[in-house]
Amino acid sequence: MSAPRNGLTAAVVAVVLLGGCDGGGLNIQNVDVGSIVRSVADLRPVQEPEEIEIGQGMLETLLGARPLLDDPELQRYVNGVGLWVARQSERPDLPWQFGVNDSDHINAFAAPGGYIIVTKGMMASLRNEAELAGVLGHEIAHVVQKHHLRALRKNAVINLLSEGASAASSESRHKEMVEMLIGPTRELYARGLDKSDEFEADRMGVVLAARAGYDPYGLPAVMTTLAAVNPADSYLALLYKTHPAPDARIQQLMTGMGTRFDAFAEARQNATRFQQATRRLQLAER
Amino acid sequence: MTRWLSALLFLFAPSLACGGESGYTYQPTELKARPFLDAQTVATLPTRSQVEIVRRQGAWMQIRTPEKREGWVRMLSVRLGNPDAKPSGGNFLSVIGIRSRPRAQTTGTVTTGVRGFSEEDLAKAEPNPAEAEKLKGFAAKPADANRVAQTGGLSAKPVPYFDEDGKPLGAKK
Repeated sequence: MSAPRNGLTAAVVAVVLLGGCDGGGLNIQNVDVGSIVRSVADLRPVQEPEEIEIGQGMLETLLGARPLLDDPELQRYVNGVGLWVARQSERPDLPWQFGVNDSDHINAFAAPGGYIIVTKGMMASLRNEAELAGVLGHEIAHVVQKHHLRALRKNAVINLLSEGASAASSESRHKEMVEMLIGPTRELYARGLDKSDEFEADRMGVVLAARAGYDPYGLPAVMTTLAAVNPADSYLALLYKTHPAPDARIQQLMTGMGTRFDAFAEARQNATRFQQATRRLQLAER
Repeated sequence: MTRWLSALLFLFAPSLACGGESGYTYQPTELKARPFLDAQTVATLPTRSQVEIVRRQGAWMQIRTPEKREGWVRMLSVRLGNPDAKPSGGNFLSVIGIRSRPRAQTTGTVTTGVRGFSEEDLAKAEPNPAEAEKLKGFAAKPADANRVAQTGGLSAKPVPYFDEDGKPLGAKK
């Protein structure tokens, strides 16, 4: 199987070359490789199993940046709440997995196929389960709308991955896929998604939390917490770099939510259960 | 010594601040007698009025002014922290410290060394398949999710998505 193997190697090289070039156009002998790869990628929809495998690959690198928090009870709690919210989405049957990583910084992120990580710092900044549901709802929306997949597609990574996908046994193929995804993962999560994707995920996150029976104002309440932190605080640096400013997000949600969500005034916040589940959280001294 | 002192302060500050959160109005805001749009307007608070947050209920916050005036305002009209300094100047820990969130680890030792998830951490991240495997082990099943809902008094409701102008959207794929 040397031919596909060479194809895969070429693909890896191409990924490396394309990694940082955001639509800049890569010309080899007057052929715009980027545009060819992009157009091919646009023709072929990514199948769900492939999406899940890509997400799994990205997850491995994200967990390489910071491992999971050693608190099995909390991890199970977040998975229970997360799956309940995700079940209210248009993709209830993805293999949803939720984790809290051992980072003091405030952030949360999703990977294609249903992988969602929330930092310990974010967990510590939340007041109740409705706020958690809002944050998870925002991340679930990224998965439902395939925002990250589309961002990868822009960088022509998707097509190259599937080119390599037929090359070898599933185990070594997965390893190669993970390797290929290291660069794009590092780059994508440092650069962030389009602002319009973030605003859309905010609106959908509010709705997913409401569908799950939670106070829909959980996510807006999180934004008010974020808005109160000094933007120069290093704990928020990456979140600020990759997301619109909290004030802009609050403004958008105020307009979008209007008064329609006032009808949910009696919806649940479940503060006691949340505080019980997060009672062991400790943050570093500063 | 200072270090120990600050460690102690860190541990107990949140519980000392148990009185609740404070904030200020971000725009001219109607103070309502009850948490409803058609409730009687008690006063209009000008921008940057200081408020003490008594509780939150959906879109509303029950607040108290320094003049001991009480009522309800729209939550999103209020920003947390000190009106004289925006951003509040507080770092993240002080911001979550102004809240009444009880923290249980009063006997724990303070961890030193910040564990970040920064751009630098990302830039040198290598795959960690063992952690991904661990995460898989924590995954919930639909029955677990249903139990979370049941024990948490949560029931599913149909709610449509909405666009940026607040217009409800049809079923989304």
